[in-house]
Amino acid sequence: MDRMEDAPAIETLGLSKTYSGGTRALVDLDLRVERGEVFGYLGPNGAGKSTTIRLFVGLIRPTAGRARLLGLDTQEDGVAARRIVGYVPGDLRLADRLTGSEQLDSLARLRGSVDRRLRAELCERLDVVLDRPIRQLSRGNRQKLGIVQAFMHRPELVVLDEPSAGLDPLLQAEMRTLLRETAAAGATVFLSSHSLDEVQHVADRVGIIRAGRLTDVDAVEALRERALRHVTVTFAESVDTGALARLEGVRVVRVDGPVVSLSAPESAMDALLKAVASHAVRDFVSEPADLEEIFLELYRESGDGR
Amino acid sequence: MLAAIFPSIEGSPEFDELVANYPEVLKELFGLGEGGGITTGAGYLDVELFSFMLPLLVLVLAIGSGARTFAGEEDAGRLELVLSYPILRSRAVLAKGVAVAVEVAVVSGVTGLAMALLDPVVGLDLSSRNLAEAIVSLAALGLLFGWLALALGAAVPSRALAIGIPAGIAAAAYLVNGLHGLAGWLDPFRFVSPFWLMGSSPLRNGVDWPGVLTVAVVAALVLLAGAWLVERRDLQTP
Repeated sequence: MDRMEDAPAIETLGLSKTYSGGTRALVDLDLRVERGEVFGYLGPNGAGKSTTIRLFVGLIRPTAGRARLLGLDTQEDGVAARRIVGYVPGDLRLADRLTGSEQLDSLARLRGSVDRRLRAELCERLDVVLDRPIRQLSRGNRQKLGIVQAFMHRPELVVLDEPSAGLDPLLQAEMRTLLRETAAAGATVFLSSHSLDEVQHVADRVGIIRAGRLTDVDAVEALRERALRHVTVTFAESVDTGALARLEGVRVVRVDGPVVSLSAPESAMDALLKAVASHAVRDFVSEPADLEEIFLELYRESGDGR
Repeated sequence: MLAAIFPSIEGSPEFDELVANYPEVLKELFGLGEGGGITTGAGYLDVELFSFMLPLLVLVLAIGSGARTFAGEEDAGRLELVLSYPILRSRAVLAKGVAVAVEVAVVSGVTGLAMALLDPVVGLDLSSRNLAEAIVSLAALGLLFGWLALALGAAVPSRALAIGIPAGIAAAAYLVNGLHGLAGWLDPFRFVSPFWLMGSSPLRNGVDWPGVLTVAVVAALVLLAGAWLVERRDLQTP
């Protein structure tokens, strides 16, 4: 293995996967994730997130292109690459008859080298149920085992496929802290999600994938600025919306008597608020747009009209 | 249980007569044709156990175990995590092959031991060497079909195929061995039946060692092919 010390955590070149049915699950992915980064991989269901991740850990083979994890080719040096990776599958299935601690023991033997103290620490931190058969555990408690096994060998790269499924908000926050700590310690986190909200508090950069194509990679801050807000203003009485519509980036979506619905980017919020404030206002609600709308906005910007 | 019934038909001329009146097809299938007849201990067990019950038992167990350990685990989605670990899939298949072999060996060994212990009690008067050989051929049969089920599951992501194909082949091989003497057109195919290759009345006549060796070599080749093919395919999501 010709592992380069300065290789990026993840580097893909034209990575593609077409399934035997003809589905083009991933098309020409060129991606570079630096060490110490938390990278959010965002896309709707079926966009190709899991396909990308399963290519990384060698569960499926690319139809074209290649991927390197810390300089190790996922095909040629698959075993070496998987040694330094921790993986949480999107649909985690464990050995139902084993208890949590038996399952972790069995995975530790398979892995060969595990930091026992770290494992105990993680279990305590996530409040993992260790002494009951896995079949009796809730989805969230199984997911915690999945997270522990992915971190217990101090991986240099952690790949998580929708990891907060089934976790309560408290544990989601704990997991985000764990991810930030991991990155702070120099390891890299690759995190897939269909929810921008889940990713934006933890990721440094975000890549957006749709229909197998990476459409955008950006810093989370930049993405958030570009993301449109849904603004609903309830005025005391019907007003002329012409002045609002003329603001940069603002679009009037609907007018229903005194209730006006608008969409506006973060950059226009200040001007919008000031314009709204020239009338009597009963209520003002601003919500982040959901991811699908951000995609649509990104498409409009890149002008490929899909 | 079957062995315990033996004293009641031992040396019974009526039973030999009854058997003589069996249709040829049944005699061939159940190994009644060859020397010794059903009223000797070895002949009785060859007929009652070694020509049907024990192969069936071992085959069901071996095919089930071979199919479960890879195809079944993949089907249940449990290979997703395990195969993301730093191990070669081919090594995983070979390790599972060892586990199947151990299971087959234990079942065959326990069967042999039970026979050996039962022998003096019910007066079967078995040759211990023939019994050992019969058990070896039973284990070889289990190994072949267990590894075939494992290898198929490794080569293609289908649990149905991993069970269906070995079961179908075993049934065909059993019939070819039983009927080739009656249906002449089947005769050339007897060479591909492991039942025929290893000798179909092991307790009376011992086994055919080159046949046992052939079966063991084919089993190993099948397993190696599975280990080779598993590296070349995608793992299915459940």
